[in-house]
Amino acid sequence: MNENDKKAFETQLRTFVGRPIGPPMTGRDPVNEPMIRQWCDAMGETHPAYLDAKAAKGTIHGEIKAPPTMLQAWVMEGWEMHEGYDEPKNEQHRLHKFLADHGYTGVLGTNTEENYTRYLRLGEQVTAETVIAEISDEKATGRGIGYFITTRTSFVNEKGEDIGSMSFRVLRYKPPAEAASAGGGAGKDGKSAAVAAKPTRIKPPMGQDNAWWWEKVAKENVLPIQRCTGCGKLRHPPRPMCDACGSQKWDSIAASGRGTIHTFTVIHYPQFPGYDYPIVSIIVDLEEGERMASTLVECKPEQVAIGMPVELLIHTDEDGFKIPFFRPAK
Amino acid sequence: MPTTIHNEAAVAGIGQTAYSKKSGVSELSLATEAVRKAIDDAGLRPSDVDGLVTYTMDSSDEVEVARTVGIGDMTFWSKVNYGGGAAVGLVAHAAMAVATGMAKNVVVYRALNGRSGQRMGQGVSGQIISSDLIHWSWYMPFGLLTPASWIALQAKLYMEKYGATSEHLAHIAITQRMHAQNNPNAAMRGKPMTMDDYMNARMICEPLRLFDCCQEDDGGCALLITSAERAKDMKQKPAVIRAVTQASFEGQEQMTSFYREDLAALPEMELAAKIIYEQSGLGAKDIDAACLYDAFTPEILMQLEAFGFCGKGEAKDFVTADSLTLGGALPNNTHGGLLSEAYLHGVNNLAEGVRLIRGTSCNQPEGVDHVLVTSGVGVPTGAVIFGQV
Amino acid sequence: MTKTFKASELTIGQELPPLDLKITATLVAGGALASRDYTPVHHDRDAAVAQGLPDMFMNILTTQGLCSRYVTDWAGVDAVVTRVRTKLGGPNMPGDLLKLRGKVVAKSEKSVDVEVAGNNAWGNHVTATFTLALPA
Ligand SMILES: [Zn+2]
Repeated sequence: MNENDKKAFETQLRTFVGRPIGPPMTGRDPVNEPMIRQWCDAMGETHPAYLDAKAAKGTIHGEIKAPPTMLQAWVMEGWEMHEGYDEPKNEQHRLHKFLADHGYTGVLGTNTEENYTRYLRLGEQVTAETVIAEISDEKATGRGIGYFITTRTSFVNEKGEDIGSMSFRVLRYKPPAEAASAGGGAGKDGKSAAVAAKPTRIKPPMGQDNAWWWEKVAKENVLPIQRCTGCGKLRHPPRPMCDACGSQKWDSIAASGRGTIHTFTVIHYPQFPGYDYPIVSIIVDLEEGERMASTLVECKPEQVAIGMPVELLIHTDEDGFKIPFFRPAK
Repeated sequence: MPTTIHNEAAVAGIGQTAYSKKSGVSELSLATEAVRKAIDDAGLRPSDVDGLVTYTMDSSDEVEVARTVGIGDMTFWSKVNYGGGAAVGLVAHAAMAVATGMAKNVVVYRALNGRSGQRMGQGVSGQIISSDLIHWSWYMPFGLLTPASWIALQAKLYMEKYGATSEHLAHIAITQRMHAQNNPNAAMRGKPMTMDDYMNARMICEPLRLFDCCQEDDGGCALLITSAERAKDMKQKPAVIRAVTQASFEGQEQMTSFYREDLAALPEMELAAKIIYEQSGLGAKDIDAACLYDAFTPEILMQLEAFGFCGKGEAKDFVTADSLTLGGALPNNTHGGLLSEAYLHGVNNLAEGVRLIRGTSCNQPEGVDHVLVTSGVGVPTGAVIFGQV
Repeated sequence: MTKTFKASELTIGQELPPLDLKITATLVAGGALASRDYTPVHHDRDAAVAQGLPDMFMNILTTQGLCSRYVTDWAGVDAVVTRVRTKLGGPNMPGDLLKLRGKVVAKSEKSVDVEVAGNNAWGNHVTATFTLALPA
């Protein structure tokens, strides 16, 4: 797009702001017990106010109520959604198609906010009215440049009483060129996240001075410690020369796997894909005298302590990668 | 020829861009703006500059900066390694160059789109780091990916050993935030912080909460260094370099020196202290104000001990006695520091050190003769003492 | 699920007991259809694969329903959900273990905010903040 095209595009884009996506949408069925029960089965809900009229009487709810997060389900289009929206059926679809046609083919739901004025009673008929509330300036995001689109929906019952509201934010983005064909969006209205491949922990970059160590972990299920064959001094992390005697010859021993925690931290943020948070990260004093960084597992963060005895556990990731972790000593 | 760097060189100019979360311009643009302002501040012309020094991490090469600013012939340039550990190293390299006649006027600079571009708080990955990739391989697979996680391991041990608590860390963060309220350039101006604000912020890596960690910012900052003699005839009151050194201690790694006997101390800072006090003939009692590197609050505690402002394990009591405030024993980071002014990788702390000598800080204490400024903690580092002519 | 917490009994930082849920194709499809969401990627693996994904994945309403159950099972029958804010992350698919962890992040006289983090092998799937009205 040259500058003039971009201006024309922006102008047209802004005309969507404030538009209702279509006429108000009324749910096919009133709030009813069979749909509530089906929902509760799937969610593993046992809440008496959703399922048992008698038990509900003894609660603040007084009678059977619909689970609050079901609100949107009462006005879902249902079966026809499986056909997709290659031909836009409402203004929201037209906005998404307009952006897709201009290269913003990626789509990702990012945030929702729902307010429940009250829980719904059996027999209430829900109607939703949705407006395209905001379109952001063009933003640089981790996915690519794009626009955040916010829709706002207000929900009323058959008497026009307010029963709740929802806002939904979607990022519509231009995937970087090489990623354009992979992954891609799912639901045409952005209600589905998409990722190309399951992330794994960052693998150790392998060089001549460290690859052997990781290979030993993987093949022999041991925690190796490098040993100078000149003077016998152990060293970790491995290095190509002994700082005591200058020898470049070395072999390794398998650590006993016993050690104590020298210090630790519990990592909460930022969270990287492929790791399981919070991470209890430890520096271990190995019985052999060397120290190493590792992860403590099978232990609640609040139970970790400096000086705690730990034992080796060779952990295997889903992708087969092996890494020496520790757990509290038995 | 001088035998030490003592009193041979001085800072004659400082320059900085606005600090922001989104500069909207290139890092070269930030670098050249800061460099040009430092030259103007000293009352020189770009053609008077014949040397440039920056960080290995900086993306704006010396010749690109020179060509953009209009600096002509150069006889000296260098880059200093190890992230924020480089800050004082820049001054050391420039001072050596002017003291030996390798160059007359050297500008040192650092510019980064640290928030809108590559964010350091997002940690290391196999893609970004290359030269010390193998070193990181002992930490990355375990999820030790960010500066906060590496520092937290040391902070935990220090706090447990000496009984320091979150309240002590909060004191440091709150004091520096208070200082920033008077600084028009500070990102945290207009956002004072209470103990509740501090305690209610989310945990990042225990024991570090959000406000124990510095920010990420866009901006550029530069200093012009010349001989102490020439500086006397320039536009600004010089900040004479009483002493300066780089310091890396036995067993040093970049951020992961976990293999030393005592993890609750900063031996590289103790080494720096020994050298600069020897060079200058000064001691902790002679230092009137400081800009101690503050990427994370526990670093301040350990530096106070390393530089002898208090004994081992006593820093917690030193900070709760309000020693780091304007009226205290050692006003520290009077501009807000990396925590509350901006994260310019420590060069903004050097600029504040110069302002404190000039008497132009936004929070100027009375009678400042000597200011200590340090660079990065947990990395090969350095320290400088600025003094009056 | 009998007693309901009073707001005054809760403290900021207090944690909910953890809940780990094994995600199956039945749960993903069953949740989607129970919310009348027939978008094929939520019940048809082939449709998801055609879009470049490894498998069908959970729709947002199911995620919210599971989080809501997690929070109200803990808070008690008389807790009333008045607001849910969600930040959406990576997908949740059959074979994943969804780990729900919650804690109290804000409180007033008659309400609390509970933040639920749902993580799986992809990283963060959802962070949902529930506002609950509770007996004073
Ligand atoms: Zn040897």
